[in-house]
Amino acid sequence: MAETTSGKSIHLRIWRQKRGEQKGRFENYTVKNVLDEMSFLEVLDLLNEDLARQGQEPVEFDSDCREGICGTCGLVIKGVAHGPGSGCTTCEIRMRPFRDGETVTVEPFRAGPFPVIKDLVVDRTPFDRIQQAGGFVAANVGSAPDGNAVPIPKEDADKAMDAASCIGCGACVAACPNGSASLFVSAKIAQLARLPQGEPERKRRAWAMVNQMDAEGFGDCSNHGECEAVCPKAISIENIAVMRREYLKAFIGGSD
Amino acid sequence: MTSIATFAGSSVGKKVFVAVTGLMLFGFVVVHLLGNLTLLIPDGGKAFNEYAHFLESLLHGWLIIAFEVCLVAMFLVHAIFAITVALVDKQKARPQKYSLVRAAGGKSHKTLASRSMILTGPVILIFVVLHVKMFKFADHPLVTYHGTEMKDLYSVVVDAFKTPWIAIAYMVVMALLGTHLWHGVWSAFQSLGWNSDRHVTFLTRLSVVAGVVLGVGFLGLPPYVYFFAATGGH
Amino acid sequence: MSTTKVLDARIPGGPLAAKWDRHAMDNPLVAPANRRKFTVIVVGTGLAGGGAAATLGELGFNVLNVCIQDTPRRAHSVAAQGGINAAKNYQNDGDSIERLFYDTIKGGDYRSREANVYRLAQLSTAIIDQCVAMGVPFAREYGGTLANRSFGGVQVSRTFYARGQTGQQLLLGVYSALSRQVKAGTVTMIPRQEMLDLVVDGGRAVGIVCRDLVTGELKRYAGDAVVLATGGYSPVYFLSTNAVNCNTTAIWRSFRRGAFFANPCYTQIHPTAIPQAGDYQSKLTLMSESLRNDGRVWVPKQPGDKRRPSDIPESERDYYLERRYPAFGNLVPRDIAARAAKVECDAGKGVGNTGFAVYLDFADAIKRLGRDVVADRYGNLFDMYEEITADDPYHTPMRIYPAPHYTMGGLWVDYNLMSTIPGLFVAGEANFSDHGANRLGASALMQGLADGYFVVPRVVASYLAGAGKAKTKTESDAFAAVERDVQTRYERLLAIRGGKTVREYWWDLGRVMWDKVGMARSRPNLEEAITRIRALREEYWQNVRVPGGARDLNKHLEMAGRVADFLELGELIARDALMREESCGGHFREEHQTPEGEARRDDENFAFVSAWEYAGENQPAAMHKERLVFENVELKTRSYK
Repeated sequence: MAETTSGKSIHLRIWRQKRGEQKGRFENYTVKNVLDEMSFLEVLDLLNEDLARQGQEPVEFDSDCREGICGTCGLVIKGVAHGPGSGCTTCEIRMRPFRDGETVTVEPFRAGPFPVIKDLVVDRTPFDRIQQAGGFVAANVGSAPDGNAVPIPKEDADKAMDAASCIGCGACVAACPNGSASLFVSAKIAQLARLPQGEPERKRRAWAMVNQMDAEGFGDCSNHGECEAVCPKAISIENIAVMRREYLKAFIGGSD
Repeated sequence: MTSIATFAGSSVGKKVFVAVTGLMLFGFVVVHLLGNLTLLIPDGGKAFNEYAHFLESLLHGWLIIAFEVCLVAMFLVHAIFAITVALVDKQKARPQKYSLVRAAGGKSHKTLASRSMILTGPVILIFVVLHVKMFKFADHPLVTYHGTEMKDLYSVVVDAFKTPWIAIAYMVVMALLGTHLWHGVWSAFQSLGWNSDRHVTFLTRLSVVAGVVLGVGFLGLPPYVYFFAATGGH
Repeated sequence: MSTTKVLDARIPGGPLAAKWDRHAMDNPLVAPANRRKFTVIVVGTGLAGGGAAATLGELGFNVLNVCIQDTPRRAHSVAAQGGINAAKNYQNDGDSIERLFYDTIKGGDYRSREANVYRLAQLSTAIIDQCVAMGVPFAREYGGTLANRSFGGVQVSRTFYARGQTGQQLLLGVYSALSRQVKAGTVTMIPRQEMLDLVVDGGRAVGIVCRDLVTGELKRYAGDAVVLATGGYSPVYFLSTNAVNCNTTAIWRSFRRGAFFANPCYTQIHPTAIPQAGDYQSKLTLMSESLRNDGRVWVPKQPGDKRRPSDIPESERDYYLERRYPAFGNLVPRDIAARAAKVECDAGKGVGNTGFAVYLDFADAIKRLGRDVVADRYGNLFDMYEEITADDPYHTPMRIYPAPHYTMGGLWVDYNLMSTIPGLFVAGEANFSDHGANRLGASALMQGLADGYFVVPRVVASYLAGAGKAKTKTESDAFAAVERDVQTRYERLLAIRGGKTVREYWWDLGRVMWDKVGMARSRPNLEEAITRIRALREEYWQNVRVPGGARDLNKHLEMAGRVADFLELGELIARDALMREESCGGHFREEHQTPEGEARRDDENFAFVSAWEYAGENQPAAMHKERLVFENVELKTRSYK
């Protein structure tokens, strides 16, 4: 291992909440022998191993692929969604930039529509309902023409891919001072608005998805742009502009 | 089916209303500053007073009333939707606050200006009320040029700006107006969907320039009057 | 039990190319108006499970779709990077359904079933069409047509991709189709629930028992058919490229209820993962196979050479894949590339601090194509690599090492993807059917979607048309008994309160599996592995410590159940590897190699699928054979030289 030191000590100030409906509070823990190469979640693993050995309840947090693509993990570390040094997910955060003896505050993603389930685990099902409202192209299996039947300019395909790379982690909501889900919703609307396949349902989709987002209780976008700064996939707020155009067009042109 | 009620209640719709009224108010402020530049003409306030009189006499005074009604409406719409966005909906969307929040930096557009819109806005509104009271609903001295009697608003300006606390308060508010526009102008374009990665740099710069030019433009008036204008226009 | 009767693969008659169409004509259908009367339970929401659930919903069946994730969009298919194969021949480079079929059979080292593989190749083209129609933003050329790249083990460009996120984009396509069906009311989505057992009644699968991962409640779901699409079992090695929640529980519990487990020893060790750095590590990160299109693999010629890579001159580097396999070079199949890396490292030529790594060098590609082109192709992978290792691959070669990645083995299924339990279907990585002893790159996504969109909907429908509705209700004794078993098992785990954590046992198991049942296997090692795993399992049930309770969200309890299953599966993998006295694909027995160190297959004695039947607690499973019949390809020694 590179420069095997005994590692750093990290003090963790972690939000603990037994159940969603109960009150939560911060608890302090210290993890020793933290190595630079460790990921932040591996430090939490270490802490949980200690807690489990002592018969205490481990800190619950969500994670799965641990390579930044599944969108499961998401913590607010040191006041920033997915942690300082943006551009990646919580699971991709490494311990290099943390100082020995540093105190690190760890909170769940906070938003009314994302209630805490336990400790750092939150419920993000509103995203599913927004998707169900219209985030699809209605093409039944078996009905597709040849993949090359409709050429798509590379620029459009690339822009659509930029938007499509959203992993649905919810950091945009967590980071938004207003708790808005606009970046998430706009990414899907913009992806499909840029492809010919999405055209027939374009207006209906924008209208339905935005209205569902509002019904879920997310805040409104004030164009602070914190979302783009924390987005692990660097999704641009230009998509939010696209979403607003699409919504305006749907309103003016009628969504049906 | 779409409906105006749904649209106006939607997160997109609210910001469209804020943006449209904001841009209109921005246009008004630009014209207003251009008019006020007549203060700089060293003619004892003649140009300024005549300009004001010209505005008040258009369509026998009806135009300016209609315009004022529109302005009030714009202010109201702007304020109501902005308050809904920045206070009401925001509170609902995050009832439990973070114990620690730090700026993400990087590509964020979050600035002191963007975060303080909900504070700079009301200050400007209070100022506007006082400003209107001072220049519209008060007894003004009169002055006559070429046989036409008109209000001597120039002397009101000079009297006010010769009072240090008023001059300073005015300058503070104008600085806040500049701050408001710093975020407000580009934000309006973004809210209306007139933005893209290609234009975002241009728009945000335009916004900063607009904020600085208008802020400094208005802000420069009190010192100018304080140091260079003669007391009383007549 | 008569082996031959049980393992009838039910392959339709007629010529290979006509079998699937013939299958459609020979099997009964369910009329549109009757479909909503049938309930199909689908476990898993990846390409296979989500695709099947959405498509069954489109057809009008009533679908219950369960997943352990908080939303279907996070199924592990999301992590596949490189691409998806299809015999479109858009590049006019000689591709065809025949060739894809042949490449897959050969890539699988002649241990897969011809009819299944041919169907897969046939369906591959329709998959691309379907995905495009759903708005999947595949990479395109400037002219607007779809772009392709090459992958290991083939000499044509047939891999479609969406940057390094192809799995994600295909899964989001599935997720959108699923979302549409949820809205339409045909699919009921049940996230954050884990299937813990299968209910078999009257000789057919009639439901599942799940644990609600939020409340801890046990839930019963009844259906007329059950589809398992729960992925593979690589985390039996503890460290793998799989997500940390990937597990074998659904298929293992079904195995214990009577479904046969086929070819468990066929595990794929992927050649290009970021090497392990320390014992704390929770997973290994894959670097896509597509990197081998432009990256060159090398080690220093001198063992123990500790110079920095830039200080090692060209003449002292050994580009061993190009040297050993000139025809395919760096693009040899995964099993071969992985084993070659192990050979070099075992000879002391490994690089990095641990000596368990080889270089993957992009210097030539950057010189030839320019940094921008390389960044466009692999930028996100390079960023990910730098994030983890703090090395910049644009300037210094990547260090890579093989890692457990995929499992070709799985529950045994017939041509209809039905297991030995009637009504229990298995799709995607969870079954064993299409990849033989080694899977080619970009073929997992192809199989997942072929199964999900096309095969499962058809075969389940024809099963339902024949079998009719199941009579078993959730209130029945059959369900109650299974629920009791599940409950008892969890109570036992919690009650042990021993001295070692679940993760420590998992780590121990992984160590045994990697050392003894990994890239190179031998009789003494396998025998030792079996003994050690049995001992570990026994100890586990006496000394594991599971914190918390069963009545709310408790990820350690979830892990405890999964590790208990891995501790059983590990032994079966070792037994299967011990039985298979040959080297083929991902299964390499040191006793069976050529003098040059290449795998030596034994077609005479081992051209069969081993299908294991559960024989009771702590009893060695019983093996059945499905003979592999090759009518259309000639069995040859695989050569990539």
